[in-house]
Amino acid sequence: MSTTAKRRLIRDFKRLASDPPVGISGSPNPDNIMIWNAVIFGPPDTPFEDGSFRLTLTFSDSYPNKPPTVRFVSKMFHPNIYSNGELCLDILQNRWSPTYDVAAVLTSVQSLLNDPNPQSPANVEAAQLYKDNIKEYERRVKTTVEASWMDPNETIEEAPAAGSSATAQPAPVQAA
Amino acid sequence: MNTNHPLLASLADEPPPFPDSHPQLQRLDRSVLCTICKEIFRAPVTVTCGHTFCSECIRSSLSVMTDKKCPLCHATITEGSIRRNRAMEEVTEAWETARDSLITLSQPVAGPSRRRPPPEPNSKSSSSTSANLKRPRRSDESRSQSPNKISKKSTDHVDHVVSSDSEEEEQVQEISENDEGECPLCSARMAIASIPMHIERGCPPVSKKKSAPGNQKADWRKVFSMAGSTKEKNVSMKRITSPNYHLATPTDLRNILNEYSLPTVGDKPALEARVRQWIILFNSNLDTEHPKSLSALRAKLNAEEISKKRDKERGRDEAVENLKTTEGFAEHVRNSGAEFERLRKEIMERDAKRAKAAKGLEASSAIEVD
Repeated sequence: MSTTAKRRLIRDFKRLASDPPVGISGSPNPDNIMIWNAVIFGPPDTPFEDGSFRLTLTFSDSYPNKPPTVRFVSKMFHPNIYSNGELCLDILQNRWSPTYDVAAVLTSVQSLLNDPNPQSPANVEAAQLYKDNIKEYERRVKTTVEASWMDPNETIEEAPAAGSSATAQPAPVQAA
Repeated sequence: MNTNHPLLASLADEPPPFPDSHPQLQRLDRSVLCTICKEIFRAPVTVTCGHTFCSECIRSSLSVMTDKKCPLCHATITEGSIRRNRAMEEVTEAWETARDSLITLSQPVAGPSRRRPPPEPNSKSSSSTSANLKRPRRSDESRSQSPNKISKKSTDHVDHVVSSDSEEEEQVQEISENDEGECPLCSARMAIASIPMHIERGCPPVSKKKSAPGNQKADWRKVFSMAGSTKEKNVSMKRITSPNYHLATPTDLRNILNEYSLPTVGDKPALEARVRQWIILFNSNLDTEHPKSLSALRAKLNAEEISKKRDKERGRDEAVENLKTTEGFAEHVRNSGAEFERLRKEIMERDAKRAKAAKGLEASSAIEVD
């Protein structure tokens, strides 16, 4: 990775550490600054409230000219989040700007939680429920909130309709 | 806040921010920062919509973008529309000169003016309130060493940079200055005490001998006195027009590299990457009052390549690729359980602190809260 990208990532980390947005924290892997782990709390007064969701961010050599890849580790139920945790967010694709930093990315992801765009669904079922049956949608979101309190390595049993769990990543738990 | 993270240490010599009691100075301080690199403007340029960036920042952004837009307002722009912003460069320089004294004046407590404060028992905080810390300078900031401006001010400046380095050594107590450490940017190994200076210089390749500050000066002298002109070809200081990379043959690319005495090793992608990067460095170097020497630009290009090579050797690129596979991702998640838990606790503690601070609002507003 170029020194320019690394320098910017260190600066991003400093900003995130000294002036963190509410309910957000993140940190680069000490051996590899291109890989970050982050935690986002669900925004208050939304169905996602109390959820503590884990994500990874990976950066390329072209950062900040190219966006990072953001992926949820926690199981999510959201119209714009694929079952493998990848998400569909315009600012991480064609609306990306090199003026964004890690804090801005995580803040955007956090606000996406309660502000989904059902027009471009990544999870068709979630999008459908969000439009047609908000009660059921909220119930399903709340199960993911509860699941987020546990180690996501534990297999979480969900309604089979939750969809392509084949691509999900339940893995054996390692004793911590 | 995780103050122990090894990567934070490398920015520990950052200058202190202005206290919250001076929002107008905070705003002024922010207004000379480039919104792309988040650092103070270097060779500021303005694009069609009126937004200003470092020349190198906007040029490298445009080189990556498929449809070229202003990073701030998404107006369509072209590289040809980039114009030097001389006024902003002047303002930036003036602000940098004034900043230290303004920091001192803005401190709520009668601070220890320019003298070093007594070492803090735990030298933890990156935003300590000591007023004598220098704003770190980037590699392309060799303006202080620019020989065409050996005014009293600039020589002072060099001295100051050097002395702040030795202060740094004294302030960090836990680590002995002889211990070796790894530069967080380019991963080169060197004495820990010399890392901050090394980063400020933009990670030049580390030579075995101690890189005395005079080295760079000597370089400059050589370039400007044209003593080494036998080596330096007559390079025209005109903007380079990018070749059509689809059509260019490796020979075409080598010719360009040859013209600027750059290495011509590597396959076509490597050559292309080198040409692209060189054009960005070279063209942005023409947008400032204080251009760097060609040898300094070459050193910077070289440092970038070395940094990338090291990442590859250490399997860092591979680790990123690996994360894209289902198994690799699952493994990363398994190994990161403790880290995620730590991040979660960090938010909880912070929220608790915030709630507490909200109660004693008045008391905390004067003090910088980490």
